[in-house]
Amino acid sequence: MAQIAPLLPEIDFAYDDVTNLHQLLDALRHHGPVVRIKFLGAPTWAILDHKLLNQAFNDVKNFDASAAYRLNSEPSMGRTLLAMAGEEHRTSRALVAPAFLPAKVRSYIQPLIEPVAHELLDRIAGKREVDFVQAFTRPYPFTVITRLLGIPVHDEEILLQWAVKLIDFPWDPTGALEAKKAFDSYMQTIIDDRRHKPTDDFVSLLAHAAFEGQKLDDERILALFRLLFPAGSDTTYKNGGSLFASVLADPELRARARRSDQDREALVTEGLRWQTPTAMLPRMATGDITLGGASIKKGDWVLFGITAANRDPAVFPDPHKFDPTRDNRALISFGRGMHFCLGMHLGRRELETALRVVLTRYPDIRLKPGSAIEFVGAVLRGPRALWVQPYGDA
Amino acid sequence: MQVIFIDSEGMKTTITAAPGDSVMHCATAHLVPGLIGECGGAMACATCHGYVGADWSRQLPPPSTQEREVLSGCLDVQPHSRLTCQITLTAALDGLTITLPASQT
Ligand code: HEM
Ligand code: FES
Repeated sequence: MAQIAPLLPEIDFAYDDVTNLHQLLDALRHHGPVVRIKFLGAPTWAILDHKLLNQAFNDVKNFDASAAYRLNSEPSMGRTLLAMAGEEHRTSRALVAPAFLPAKVRSYIQPLIEPVAHELLDRIAGKREVDFVQAFTRPYPFTVITRLLGIPVHDEEILLQWAVKLIDFPWDPTGALEAKKAFDSYMQTIIDDRRHKPTDDFVSLLAHAAFEGQKLDDERILALFRLLFPAGSDTTYKNGGSLFASVLADPELRARARRSDQDREALVTEGLRWQTPTAMLPRMATGDITLGGASIKKGDWVLFGITAANRDPAVFPDPHKFDPTRDNRALISFGRGMHFCLGMHLGRRELETALRVVLTRYPDIRLKPGSAIEFVGAVLRGPRALWVQPYGDA
Repeated sequence: MQVIFIDSEGMKTTITAAPGDSVMHCATAHLVPGLIGECGGAMACATCHGYVGADWSRQLPPPSTQEREVLSGCLDVQPHSRLTCQITLTAALDGLTITLPASQT
């Protein structure tokens, strides 16, 4: 096949900040629903259209997610849910799902999620201004996961180092494999303990889960734990930053955030659409397919343009407007189909809780006047920093 | 054929549907409130929970092990709770009535 040159060749969507991503995507949309752009230095397909993206997510023959995940991360991450397909995925997912379903996730809010929010907010007490990304939105979802896993506070720092290193395999294989060894032996102790003395916690639930006569062995539990950090922490923290950037900038949205659970749910959903954290998801085509006029060949890299689909004007009228009253049921931020986000309920409850607790603790919190907010990244996207004044102009 | 949705406050919406469609899709395509269907029917999101009356329930194929497991994690589960993405409409289901829970999540 003739190499099709990328559009906007001066921009590399993997490396550049692309602060103007949505403008670029609008410009690309004029060239068709599936376009060629530059990613990691090479021409790569990008799906921009909501309907076609939905189709691609559900097309497990031509877009088997596990192909890309195995290639990039299996050595250090192990066989995670994302690296599985077919029956292996079905049973493994069914075994871990109960810990992430709506009723269970609600039970984490009061004893686990809220206290983490309060602890982090305690630390900014008395400060005139802070970067809210570093002080709150970044550590918050990470700490929720370490608490779910039963990790004591004094080990959170070392866990963070290992978790960050695990996904570095493509650049630092030795470091990533060492981190895996350390992470696994640490977590194995907690798993062993819950196997022998089950409590009602998250790890015990997994250690004793059963589905169609199967149970989770240690490696499958460890693989889930390794995946929780990149899948659950990076995504949620980027979105938390974008959410507070929008809500604090607009008095009407801010008033809505203080109103009711339903209002907060709507704000979080619109935040996930308006500035999707999982902006573009790299996939590898696992079959030859013509999509939106593009002839995609087996082995080609394809970016799933989630953030573009979430602003597809055919599905979301006036798509650039932040409007929590719109019908957002076509939201595609959490993917579609068999790999649909396992942590969707947890991520949403974390973000809703954050809105409620932050605005209760610091009712006068505001964006620092004059400090511009830059959203960066085309794979994972969120604000670079978010300077706030917890006590307003006091 | 018709499918009737009743929300948690008793508001009734009647939809003209086609055999072969899923109940979840029939609701979202007509903007019926109270049901989301975010994973698109993969039993992966648990946001398409609905209650089927006892009489209708008997006419449906029973839920799979996977559906039962996802249902058990939904809010306010009742004996005739179903994931509506797993109910495929047939002509025999004309008049099927689904009551929706107060919250999916
Ligand atoms: C707002 C935050 C989040 C967003 C936008 C998000 C988005 C996504 C997306 C798009 C996928 C599908 C990936 C693919 O198809 O390749 C996914 C999968 C996944 N997510 Fe999330 N996620 C979020 C939060 C979380 C949280 C909090 C957790 C858990 C603590 C989590 C755990 C997972 C797991 C385990 C998978 C793989 C599921 C499977 O392969 O069956 N995510 N997420
Ligand atoms: S639509 Fe997701 S479980 Fe039914």
